[in-house]
Amino acid sequence: MNKLVKLFITSISAITLALVSFSSSFAKVEGDYIVLGSAISLTGKYSSNGVHTQNGYNMAVDRINKMGGVEVQGKKYKFEIIYYDDESNPKRAAQLAERLIKQDGVHYMLGPYSSGLTKAIAPVTEKYKIPMVEANGASRSLFTKGYKYLFAVLSPANQYLEVAIDLAVEKNGGKGVRIAQAFEQDAFSQDVRLGILDAAKRTGSEIIIDDKLPKELNDMAATLAKVKATKPDVLVVSGHTKGALTAIRQISEMKVDVPMLAMTHCDAAKLSKQHGKKSEYALCASQWHKNLSYKDKFFGSGKKYDKDFKKEFGYAPPYQSAESSAALLVFKDAFERANSFDRDAVRDALKTTEMQTFYGNIKFGPGGQNTAKPMILFQVRCKGDECENKVVAPTKWASDKFYHPIPKWSERS
Amino acid sequence: MNKVKQKDLILYSGLIILGLAAPYLFSAFKVQLTYLCVLIVLAMTWNLQGGEMGYNTFGNILFYGLGMYLTASVQVGMFFPLAEWTESGGEKTFVHTTAQYFQGIGVGLLVSAIIPALVAGAIGYAILGLRGHYFAICTLGLGIAAGEIAGGIEIIGAGQGFTTPPFPAEIVDNEARGKFFYFLSFALLIGTFVFVKYIYGSRFKLILNAIRDNEDKAEAMGIQTMKYKITGWMCSAFFCGLAGGIMGGLIGYIDSTDVAFDGREMGVFMVLMAILGGKGTLWGPVIGATLFHFFKEGLWTLILGWQYVALGVLIVVIVIYFPEGLMGWLREKYPERFGEVIDEKDRKAQVELK
Repeated sequence: MNKLVKLFITSISAITLALVSFSSSFAKVEGDYIVLGSAISLTGKYSSNGVHTQNGYNMAVDRINKMGGVEVQGKKYKFEIIYYDDESNPKRAAQLAERLIKQDGVHYMLGPYSSGLTKAIAPVTEKYKIPMVEANGASRSLFTKGYKYLFAVLSPANQYLEVAIDLAVEKNGGKGVRIAQAFEQDAFSQDVRLGILDAAKRTGSEIIIDDKLPKELNDMAATLAKVKATKPDVLVVSGHTKGALTAIRQISEMKVDVPMLAMTHCDAAKLSKQHGKKSEYALCASQWHKNLSYKDKFFGSGKKYDKDFKKEFGYAPPYQSAESSAALLVFKDAFERANSFDRDAVRDALKTTEMQTFYGNIKFGPGGQNTAKPMILFQVRCKGDECENKVVAPTKWASDKFYHPIPKWSERS
Repeated sequence: MNKVKQKDLILYSGLIILGLAAPYLFSAFKVQLTYLCVLIVLAMTWNLQGGEMGYNTFGNILFYGLGMYLTASVQVGMFFPLAEWTESGGEKTFVHTTAQYFQGIGVGLLVSAIIPALVAGAIGYAILGLRGHYFAICTLGLGIAAGEIAGGIEIIGAGQGFTTPPFPAEIVDNEARGKFFYFLSFALLIGTFVFVKYIYGSRFKLILNAIRDNEDKAEAMGIQTMKYKITGWMCSAFFCGLAGGIMGGLIGYIDSTDVAFDGREMGVFMVLMAILGGKGTLWGPVIGATLFHFFKEGLWTLILGWQYVALGVLIVVIVIYFPEGLMGWLREKYPERFGEVIDEKDRKAQVELK
């Protein structure tokens, strides 16, 4: 037996040695390439949004490389990304971040998908002083931990649906409204909830239903039954893509009448395509919409980005893809301003970022959150069987008027 | 000292030296090595319950998750208001000093060993009367329920998750954190191994085996099986809690269902590793966990998107071809190496009888 054990140990050591020599051949900047690392959810519950994120990254890498790449000290470099699949699991994500930094020698990171996974990776990048530009971690608690190497191009999660409550109050003649809400048990959705609680307090609104939805989300009939019985003025639902799909499916099945329905992740879930008229009048928070008037020289306007993205990947880009593309633009800008590959120099350059991209203005606050860009709200509106997302707030970009209240199911054709 | 003992001594000291040198030899792999130590501990403690006592449990993940939350909560709660730490809207930033960090994690780990053991005692008293599949299903529910409950408790962050205290910033060395957690987990591994090895030489192990082989007979022999079953589970829980506590600190972020009460991954892995290596043996879980970890780390990134399919295939292969695990398979092939004497005459006689 002991012989076997010894043999076993020897072979393990041999394999490990082989791994060591194999993996150290990577470096932060290799030849003409700047290597970025990212753990992305390609499988598991965030897989669809993980792919949106990855597509956004890839699209920007291609575009920047094609348009001349990144110029540092007079030399042109191209971007390259090493991806790993984090399986939508924070434990795995933290481990992979470690692996990207220690074994693949990555010195600059792009964020994963979702707040929970970003929360798991941030302590690792912080420890190794690796600048991370992330585009999909909106939880407010990410920005209160004093992280110095974390930069988010998106608005914090608590701002997602605050505006919706303000709209509802406005429609109610300035008086407080009765809110029913259901949120998934995860970092992002719980932060959206905090935003609603703040808004309710501010406007004197009352929260009459405050439900939690499980992570493996496919049923919220219990909440909807309560909504039917108590008739609130607003129903707020947030639970990533699955939450949006489940809500629309069950609201239409159960014929729940509610004057206003506010959600997140409608465009990622392709609600207007998948559910068509059933999803009409749903109000959705979004980081970005193609009709906004922002511009940059790589992607042009939002509309052009939308067109190019459709050509490349065969579907309209949700904001998750747009913000991910923007993250690369931020990195490029920072490298060029730092004019160096020193991590601290890049970090300092990131800190002073002030730029406009097709996705919106980007300027980082002290906690690393983007303070220069407001959230927008759009409403699903249909003409015949064609449904589209129309921006309704803020008024600067509104292309359509906000339709309120939602007609009853009995009156909808 | 006889010859066998001497050989053991060489083996163990060799392994310990390898273990101590590993973080320096394979500096980039410290985190994976830490995982390996923790996985071995989980497999070994599961083996005590599932392999030696014959009570297949999926509930050990409960103690692992409990240990994780307890360590982090104590580490924070000793110095700062826990509720404000976990409240995501909080604007305040709390920073542990170096001394606070280590004191906190020390006390936290102590608590994370004792409380899960007590919980195991209490739950064991209630459900260890169940046998076979009933027990397995019942414990399966424990982990799931714990995850859902933890996801609803505000003070430990609920669905937001719990960010554990960051490693003290005053320690400038980048490698310090990795080393600290590696040696912590390595110490736990040695502690667990010594304990399990001690049990293997004791009457306690024989009683556990008696319970596995025929509980009614054991009872009839005058053994208070309930007492021993509970004690056995408490031992598992003690080390599982510690393993969880270390992992919590290492990962840095605790999520109720994906990190702490992660029955779908860790909960299944610990069973799989013990079975792969061979349950009911001392070295089986160690070898099983090591092989499994190498398989996972080495191959998973090569087959992106298909890794869980590969894992499924692996499970099927293990169950069909190595139902007794690698150690069991080796034992069958080379019984003499395991110190078993085969009486050829007797074997032939048995064959002829058939």
